[in-house]
Amino acid sequence: MDEKKTDAQKMEEERVYDLIFICRPATPEDEINKIVTTLEHSTAEHGGKIEKTERWGTRRLAYRVAKHREGFFVYMVIKSSQSDLIKELERRLKVSDAVIKYQTIRLDEELKRQQKLGKHRERRASRRPRKQVPGAPTAPSAPPAPPQQQVPAAAAE
Amino acid sequence: MSDQPVPPAPQAHEAPSSTPAPHPAPSHAPRAEGGHTGGPPRREGGHSGGGPRREGGPGGPGGPGGGPGGPRRGGKRQYFRKKKVCRFCVEHVDFIDYKRVEMLQPFVQERGKILPRRMTGTCSRHQRWLGEAIKRARNIALLPFATEL
Repeated sequence: MDEKKTDAQKMEEERVYDLIFICRPATPEDEINKIVTTLEHSTAEHGGKIEKTERWGTRRLAYRVAKHREGFFVYMVIKSSQSDLIKELERRLKVSDAVIKYQTIRLDEELKRQQKLGKHRERRASRRPRKQVPGAPTAPSAPPAPPQQQVPAAAAE
Repeated sequence: MSDQPVPPAPQAHEAPSSTPAPHPAPSHAPRAEGGHTGGPPRREGGHSGGGPRREGGPGGPGGPGGGPGGPRRGGKRQYFRKKKVCRFCVEHVDFIDYKRVEMLQPFVQERGKILPRRMTGTCSRHQRWLGEAIKRARNIALLPFATEL
């Protein structure tokens, strides 16, 4: 039962990952493009989707990595429901010589939390005007006038 | 506490004036003490024997000791610390992004240490998220683990 459920959930749930990898600063553009295309191919194979690819360009590293003080950063956002995909992507990055460092972070849970908190705040904000009218009308800058209108309406109801 | 030192003070003044006659002193004492609490018999009994002790003992620290004690406390209170507010709470941050290094930088010491909550005033929830973000940024060489000399 549990296995079925988890499988079903896995199929439903789409996970969001942040993938950053750093190439050697001397890497030619073609090679970086090649790496990106191979990653795209393997994500497509595993039924994933690349939402975004950003090239941050050459940046200074906070510490020395493989004797380099600078690196070419590439940032990707990947959506996938299969965890095998990340394994495969990391294997590819590990194999390629140009890449000196990479990091994949699963973000969907945090994004979900963010949305939840945002919704919660909105709901509270929509409730707020009635409560706050007598006390302190400090927090929201937008509704100074509307609450006054709302209060008599609420009282009438 | 604040009421008690007040009545002994007049006693202390009156007692020395009426030292030759011990009777007036107890007569004054029950009035003052009886008004405050319901335990005059004990104090009367104790006052005849413990009267001088009281005057000498608590009268000294109670009167002059209370004087400097107040200013000292006041001096501590005068040192007013501005209450720190969590920056993330003020801005309603629900997610701390590890990629925004310039945002994380103020919460990291020069050598790369994460600043404690007591320094920055961050709330516990945001400090947790912040620590996570800083560690992620460190892992991908956006922030230092420790700067080299």
